Amino acid sequence: MKILIIEDELTLNQTMLDFLSGAGYLCESVFSYKDALEKIEYHTYDCIVLDIMLPGGSGLDILRFLKQDKKTDGVIIISAKGALEDKIEGLQLGADDYLIKPFHLSELSVRIAAIIRRKNFNGQSVITAGDIQVDTMGKTVLVNNQQVDLTQKEFQLLLFLIVNRNRILSKNAIAQHLWGDDMDFPDNYDFIYSHIKNLRKKIVAAGSPDCIKSMYGEGYKLQLP
Amino acid sequence: MKLFTRYNRVNITATIITFLVGSIGFYFVMDYVLTRQLDRGLRVEQQEIIDFVKEHNQLPEVQTTRHQWIDIVPAADPIPHPKPNTTEAFNKIENEREPIRQLVFTVNAGGKSYQVSVNQSKTETEDLLQLIILVTVLMIALILLSNYLINRKLVTRLWAPFYRTIDSIRDLQLSVKKPLQLPAESIEEINLLNASVNKMTARIHQDYQALRTFTENASHEMQTPLAVIRSKIESLLQDTEGKEKTIQQLLTIEDATLKLSRLHQSLLLLTKLENRQFQLSEAVNLTEIIESKLAERSELIAARKLVLSVTMKEVVLSFHRHLAEIMVNNLLNNMIRYTPVHGTVSITLTNEVLSIKNYAANGALNTDKIFQRFYKEEQSAESTGLGLAIIKEICVLAGFTITYQYAFHEHDFTIHFKPSNAQTI
Repeated sequence: MKILIIEDELTLNQTMLDFLSGAGYLCESVFSYKDALEKIEYHTYDCIVLDIMLPGGSGLDILRFLKQDKKTDGVIIISAKGALEDKIEGLQLGADDYLIKPFHLSELSVRIAAIIRRKNFNGQSVITAGDIQVDTMGKTVLVNNQQVDLTQKEFQLLLFLIVNRNRILSKNAIAQHLWGDDMDFPDNYDFIYSHIKNLRKKIVAAGSPDCIKSMYGEGYKLQLP
Repeated sequence: MKLFTRYNRVNITATIITFLVGSIGFYFVMDYVLTRQLDRGLRVEQQEIIDFVKEHNQLPEVQTTRHQWIDIVPAADPIPHPKPNTTEAFNKIENEREPIRQLVFTVNAGGKSYQVSVNQSKTETEDLLQLIILVTVLMIALILLSNYLINRKLVTRLWAPFYRTIDSIRDLQLSVKKPLQLPAESIEEINLLNASVNKMTARIHQDYQALRTFTENASHEMQTPLAVIRSKIESLLQDTEGKEKTIQQLLTIEDATLKLSRLHQSLLLLTKLENRQFQLSEAVNLTEIIESKLAERSELIAARKLVLSVTMKEVVLSFHRHLAEIMVNNLLNNMIRYTPVHGTVSITLTNEVLSIKNYAANGALNTDKIFQRFYKEEQSAESTGLGLAIIKEICVLAGFTITYQYAFHEHDFTIHFKPSNAQTI
């Protein structure tokens, strides 16, 4: 899986590069409009992480260029421009997703995974993690080849944990992934715990070892050998 | 008062006064001229009588006509300087008293002294004067009427470009990306106005765009470092196996960046609201929005064991979808945050109002301050202190009013929509 990161902020670019490489993707990164155009002209990527404000040009123009050339690379825009018009424009131009800065890397990862799944879903819609098999198309979960019924939120939670396997996810990141940006959580995310507890119970009941680790109640991690 | 009305008022008053003064003057001039003409006739008559007496030494036969008659009576004293004067006398032919011009003088005929009075009726003169006055008054009326009609028609047409300009200015929307382009007009003043307005709006537009770009860039420049901090925290988090304190500290930093980012987005939104960067012409189904936002929070409401009662009619407002969502979000966030566990909450939506009531543990809020920016009743880590300020600004923009009341241990936030704005499906 090849990913191109187009982001002019040095540190952010490097962090994303490290993170996505760690998640098993083959990553390349560029910092400017010109370099980005060069890259996309000669290579094909499964997903392009695209910043809008770049030295030398706009990320939206890169998007236009891609669509003009009928390239099929998936595109996720990452922008500080939360303005609704920008979001609509980006999606209308053919971007697959739009993530507003600042975002959680785990959120970026799960969105990229979703885009890649959509792009080549022939036989790829099932994700396996240990004993757990998640069919993202059919929204079904098999544990030890045994069907497990999950609520919609539990399904989303499991998918989020699996895509970010072996990483600690803060309750903050989980809450924002499941409920979005515009809600606030007065109880310090206590109720997330009940979702984790239920999910864990259902997986264990199907005969799989308890793979969801709590990190002192501050975060969670799906641990696979 | 319209400029035209005021102008017309002054104009008409001036016209009437001018005509009145003019007619009075005209009357006196005419009266003077006509009287002089009568007097000349009287003098001619006098001369004829004196000449006759001189020639024949006897009195002439007097002829009486409808307008002139001569009375001769024996007189004692001669009149030294006879002058015509106006008086009244009985006209035997007309059989009525009428105003006359009279010249009284004395003559000597056959050794006897006679007083001769030549009388000329003034009725004709009076009639003529009356006619003149009538014509004058009619003229005034006619001129006023035609003046009024012409002015009305002409002025309406003359002012039409002015009203077109005013309409364009009124409809000017800064968020539309084109500056005002008023056409050149044939009238110099209007042309000047249009050109100045064009120039002014072009300048305003430029400033506005600059401000907009600035706020957007400022947002970008702020959010990017925040994104760096956040991503670094996430990376660090992965190396904290077995270090509880470090995790907690990292997450505290993460919370702070989250809050900073939200704060910044809220301030940006407030600026945009103040700049009126939103067009409120979308048909927005408020009922649907509230329902979906409530559904998003169903777990949260369940976790806090809130007792919720919802009464909603189908309400569609001419509004802005995104703003409506923000408004509902903020209201619901507050409602959930400030209601104690097991508290009661009620939401009522009608065509006129949206009312959200929730049980309050600690009494009334400070009505004067709750809508102020950064005002907090209690220090809360989650709250930015901008939620209600944003709701208030959205209401101001949309022409709604928001009120707060406290009664029976309940906070009651009610938004009153414009009566004309609400419609039922």
